[in-house]
Amino acid sequence: MIGIIGSGNVGANTAFFLAEKGVDHVTLFDIQDGLAQGKALDMMEAAPIRGYRTGILGTNDPDAVLDADIVIITAGAVRKPGMDRDALFRENREIVTTYARKITRPDTKVIVVSEPVDLLTTVFAQQSSLPAHQIMGLGGILDATRLRFLIARELGVSMENVAAQVVGRHTDDMVILQDYCCVSGVPIENFLSTETIAGLFHQTRQAGALIVELAGRASAYYGPSAVAADLAEAICRDTGRVLSVSRMLSGQFGIQGAALSLPCVVNRSGAATVLAPKLDKDQVDILTACARTIRQTIKEDTHA
Amino acid sequence: MPKVAIIGAGNVGATAVYYIAEKNLADIVMVDVVEGLPQAKAMDYLHAAPMRNYNVHISGTNDYKEIADSDVVVLTAGIPRKPGMDRMDLMKINVDIAKKASQAIAEYAPNAVVVVVSNPLDVIAMATLQETGFALKRVMGMAGVLDATRFRYFIAEKLRVWPGDVMAMVLGGHGDTMVPLPGYTRVNGIPVTELIEPGDLEKLIARTRTGGGEIVSLLKHGSAFYAPGASAAKMVEAILKDEKRVVPVSAYLRGEYGYQDIFLGVPVLLGKNGVEKILELTLTDAEKTALDASAKAVKDGVDTLRSFYSPG
Repeated sequence: MIGIIGSGNVGANTAFFLAEKGVDHVTLFDIQDGLAQGKALDMMEAAPIRGYRTGILGTNDPDAVLDADIVIITAGAVRKPGMDRDALFRENREIVTTYARKITRPDTKVIVVSEPVDLLTTVFAQQSSLPAHQIMGLGGILDATRLRFLIARELGVSMENVAAQVVGRHTDDMVILQDYCCVSGVPIENFLSTETIAGLFHQTRQAGALIVELAGRASAYYGPSAVAADLAEAICRDTGRVLSVSRMLSGQFGIQGAALSLPCVVNRSGAATVLAPKLDKDQVDILTACARTIRQTIKEDTHA
Repeated sequence: MPKVAIIGAGNVGATAVYYIAEKNLADIVMVDVVEGLPQAKAMDYLHAAPMRNYNVHISGTNDYKEIADSDVVVLTAGIPRKPGMDRMDLMKINVDIAKKASQAIAEYAPNAVVVVVSNPLDVIAMATLQETGFALKRVMGMAGVLDATRFRYFIAEKLRVWPGDVMAMVLGGHGDTMVPLPGYTRVNGIPVTELIEPGDLEKLIARTRTGGGEIVSLLKHGSAFYAPGASAAKMVEAILKDEKRVVPVSAYLRGEYGYQDIFLGVPVLLGKNGVEKILELTLTDAEKTALDASAKAVKDGVDTLRSFYSPG
């Protein structure tokens, strides 16, 4: 069973995508009375038409999701126009800390979607009894998905043929690995000029903010939900997807004590195998600086 | 609903029908010279329709007239390769079958895009192009997609990762001279050369090269059809849905990669018009040498074919 904490746009759409793909039964939780139950019932009433073979249950009881095989954390405040991801930290830190202490089933896998994701993944890992590789934040995989869309649209080719890797922090400091962006295995510089590539990378960095700006209030949720469902599917079906997820680093590039995205093999165990990419010195420096900022932000906020 | 004609109701043709029907891509007509065979297989599929929820029509016929107005024609007709049999041994028989089919395609489905699957592929594609008189981009061979899917599977199996995350490029003729390109083979963007030791990668390449033969020797009677059927269906889907996929297919070359007037596996942009663009990649010297050898093998095959039909 997959438990989803938070039944807002991201939580509910994640349940929706999981049902569409028939990945596993879903329990949708929210503190707001009736919200999760209402959305779950609405989706199940579409089940005869959509042919769902898995159920969605709504609940206001947090205990109903704590012992799930996979817990997806979407709860917390969302980014508002003009709001920076870090400003969310104080608002969402407490929620994540609470769940980190309550989720104790040793083989549960946790997917952190709430923002700021690398900070919250780090906090969760620090407060949790679970091993680091079972706690995954939705970071580079979402940026990479957005970049894949942008590359495919620019070239007029099938999106499925485009691969991309984005590592580091899920902020404007993300590190886009140009050498790892390709179309059917062929590097993008075979098809695109340096200026065009720079433009696409810039749009990728701004992609989340653009959606907040366009939508006026809500932050993005189709993309994040699709990616959360994809990650849950990789775990549930033990597929071994190669995805850039945020997890506590254990010495990669000399970094420890902070969660950042690197490509990992995602399977039944979580994200145990990290495939450290080839980075140049500048890229390593960015990752090191991001890790330092994450550690400091958590420390300062603790003492505040 | 678009229409797809599958010529040849053997294992490859019938398996392609399965994948196309399961995805409800198009109405399908299966044609075969053997009386009753395409009708039987079509009816068998229709019996499964209530369970599988097909909303496409599937029919079988011995009459080429029924391919009328097909959007895509998949040519699978021909006798299969037997154990120990070289692809060239098949040539004369299968070329004759392809020529007859091509005349019918030109007459009844003059606007179709033709995907040739019958072996020896690059030679049959040439015969089909000549006999239909179609525009170059509307005739292509299915080879690289199949070779690449085998290579992708072997890599995924080795790394224990999801096969869908592996992208691979395999050029050249469909045969022992195929040219897998490790430099353009990646696992969700990560070059395979960073993940697999050169020696191990060589073994996977060798296995890919003989992938069809491995299945033939296991089956003893018959050759592969699940992966070939899936590869053909994937190409049909890319054409019908105008997906603009970047895939290796056997395309007619007019100077690309330095080759003239042969069908050879190269990366193309595949969409509703067929081969919409041929993409020229930078190759290493070793890859170029291997591709030259592959092109020569194809050229020799075509020359042999010409000698069958030229007077004297």
